Order: sequence, then C-alpha cells, then structure tokens
Amino acid sequence: MKRRRFLQIILAFLASITLLSFVYSLLKFLAALPARTAEANKLIIRKNEVPSGDAKDIIYRDSPAVIINRSDKGFIALSRVCTHLGCLVEYDRVKQRLICPCHAGNFDLEGNVLSGPPPKSLTVIPLRIDGENIIIG
Amino acid sequence: MKTWLNVRIGLDDFIQTKIIDYRIPKNINIFYTLGFLAVIAYAVQAVTGIILLIYYIPHPDHAFRSVQDIMTKVPYGWLFRQMHVVGSNLMITVAILHMITVFLMGNYKRPRELTWLGGGLSLLLTIIFGFSGYLLPWTQLSYWATTVVTSMPTAFPLIGNPIAQVLRGGDHITEITLSRFFALHVAVLPPIFLTLTGIHLFLINRIGISATPFGMADEEKRPLTEYKRKTHADGYPYYPVFFQKQMYMMMAYLAVMFFIITFLPNLFFPEEAHIPADPFKTPAEIRPAWYLLAPYQLLKLIPNKFFGITIQAILVALFLVWPFVDTYQEKNVLKRPILRGVFIFLLVMWVILLFWGRTS
Repeated sequence: MKRRRFLQIILAFLASITLLSFVYSLLKFLAALPARTAEANKLIIRKNEVPSGDAKDIIYRDSPAVIINRSDKGFIALSRVCTHLGCLVEYDRVKQRLICPCHAGNFDLEGNVLSGPPPKSLTVIPLRIDGENIIIG
Repeated sequence: MKTWLNVRIGLDDFIQTKIIDYRIPKNINIFYTLGFLAVIAYAVQAVTGIILLIYYIPHPDHAFRSVQDIMTKVPYGWLFRQMHVVGSNLMITVAILHMITVFLMGNYKRPRELTWLGGGLSLLLTIIFGFSGYLLPWTQLSYWATTVVTSMPTAFPLIGNPIAQVLRGGDHITEITLSRFFALHVAVLPPIFLTLTGIHLFLINRIGISATPFGMADEEKRPLTEYKRKTHADGYPYYPVFFQKQMYMMMAYLAVMFFIITFLPNLFFPEEAHIPADPFKTPAEIRPAWYLLAPYQLLKLIPNKFFGITIQAILVALFLVWPFVDTYQEKNVLKRPILRGVFIFLLVMWVILLFWGRTS
C-alpha cells in the first residue's frame, strides 16, 4: 500500500470516529431528561368527593387522570391521555363515555375504545377503597 | 468609492453579467416571481423574528405574558408580532404556490431534479418553522396542537416513542419542550434553511432559468449527458423587465400582509390563541394551523394511526422525489391528461380536507 493511500484511510477512519462520537454524544444529550422531583406514588381522595355517576379530574404522577364513580360498578381511575395523539379525554355524564375533543375518540367507562381512531384502551390506574377514602396508585 | 469597490469586488462586472446581460425567456410569466417572493417573505420573518426576540421570554411562566406584553404594552410590538404571524402564513402560501406553478410548468424535469428537491425540502422546513413557532406563545392552541403533532411519531413501532420523547424532552409538553422548540425555531432551522436556499439558488444560476412549456420551443430532447447552461440569448434582460415584475409582486405581498393586519387581525388567532396553556384541559375545538388541517382531517378519517401517518409520509416522499419518478420528457401539462387529472384530483382532495378539518 502506498503511503498516500494509507494516510487517506487513516484520515477517513479518524474523521468517522470523530463524527460518530459527536453524533452519539448529541443523541444522548437530546434523549437525557432532567431529573424530576420525587412524585407521590399514592393519591388519596375522599369517596364523597365523587358522587355516584360523577367523575373528578385528578393529577397522578404528573399526568392527568380521572376517577369515575360508576353507578353500577363503582370507582375506576383512568388516564385522561388519549392513546391516539395525546389530547385529554373528557367525561361525558349524559352519554356515560369519555370523549377526546381532538379526533373524536370515544371510550367506555372501562377505558375501552368504542369508536374513533385511538389504537388502544385508556390506561387503568389501580385503586383501592379504604373506608371513606379512595387510594389511587 | 465606485472605483475602490470595482478594484476589490468587481462591482461593475457583477452588475453587467448578473443583472444587465442576464436574459430571461420571452414567455416568462408572473408566477416566476414566486421564488423571489418566498425569499422576501423569509427576510420579513427573519427581521421581525429578531425584533420579537428582544421581549419574548421562552419559559412557560413568562412566555404567554411576554407575548401579551409585546401585543399590548411594547410600542408597535403588535405590528411586529402581527407581521411575523401573518407573514409565516403568507410565506407558506407563497412557497406552496411556487411549488404548484413549478410543477404545472414542468420545470422540475431534468436537469432540475435537485433544484426541485431543494425547494421541496425548503417547503418542509418552512412548515417546521411554522410548527415550531406555534408553541412559543404558550397558548391553549399552541400547547395542544403541539401535543397532537409530537404524538404522531408514536404511530411507528420501536422508534416512534423515542422520537416523540426526544422532540418533547419527556412524556408531555413542558418547559423542556418549549426550550427545544425555541432553539429549533431561532437557531437550528435558520442556518439549515439558508443552506438549502443557497443550494437552490446556486442550482438555478448554474443550470439557467427554465422557459415555460407554453407557446415556444423548450428544452432539448436529446439525452442529457453533459453540462450546458440555459442562457436565453434572445430573451428579455432581467433588468428592468423582470426586476419590475418582482418589485410589483413584493409590493402586492406587503399589501396583502397589511390588509390582513388591518382588516382581519384575528384571521390567524382563534379563541384558543388568547388563552394561556392549560396542560390539564384540552379545548373543545382544537385545530392546527390551516396548512396542517388536511393531514389532521385525514388522521381523523383513517382509523389506523400507523396507516394514516405512513400514507402521508409516503405522499411527502413521493412529492420530493417526483422528478426522479416522472422521467417522461413532455413538460407541457396540457399534453398530459393523466398527470393533469391526478394533480387536480389531489389538489381538490387537499382543499376539501382543509375545509372539512376547519368545520368538523
């Protein structure tokens, strides 16, 4: 191999390593999320704050959620983040549905998709009843 | 002074060769000024954007207030913000019209494939400019429109969620997203856009301006194997014939802009654009800017998110590489009924989806 060709290969190698190092660092830099303050793992709400057939919007782990008091099946907590494109669903007391205002996704009170483009159900957040309290999470 | 400049930069030679001797085809029309108009529109955006930077504060606690202050307290702040907002919409309109007219006149054909590609990418960048600027006022409209658009990549398996996370800097739109979009809008996109525009202009200058296919002999039909600049020796001089057309269009552009600012000041400000962002309340009527309404409506109509976004991505890719797909040599769209029919169909569909998205 001629000296000039050898130097070209070495130069190309070094340039590639430099570029890759920069791109790798940049990707890691962009993907890094600053540490958030510690979030409460559990949220406690009084049962009488959510009358039968009604719902209450809550914030659970920095994310909007809703707790619904279904007249036949009791309490359920669901994420309000629509699984289609991230808008927040609203509880419709008359229709007994959760409706997304952006692309008209409809969910039943279990979080299942009834109509519209959402690809999957709303996330169900575990809860338990403890006396007069609802403990979410 | 003139001699001093001549010795150093060859001013006389530049004016003679690039302005006076520069010939344009005789059948050139007013639509040829749209590219120049897009550059003027970008200049207006750059100047007004820099002026707005003086008072704008890119933080969720202050962004909305600072924009309100620009509109109500800073002398003539309303003027510069209105020019920036109206200008952004007009700039996209001009760029779209430029692409449509270039398409209809077949000026994307060889050897101008890369010129078209550069222009198409510039149009996409212009839309990203508009989209990234949308979040900055931190209103209900900007917050939720950004939520919808940054969720789009999640339609793609494996890579979708990481892309959305990088765009937002987390699961939701937060101050991190605002910082990223601000950086994108004022620091990342401008040099990319200027580079692309520079390449676009370099190619136009190198290859030469293309004549319209209507009413006169056009490009040579023989295979293109060597570089040959299109010169139009029998054409009109650029100055004053075409230069005056360009100035006329620039004045018309500014007239439209100030007409909207004066008589339709809320044209691009729906109600949600006056309400500060509330991350826990999606407005009942949330719509993106008009130029994204057609894809937005299509997403509503196609039940499968992956399919809906993929089909749009394919259409955009096809639009960009169209000169490489359409290698048929006939430039005159009037002699190509199928292409004309498909184009009209797509244009009508786009307009229908746009109005449907606006009213549904």
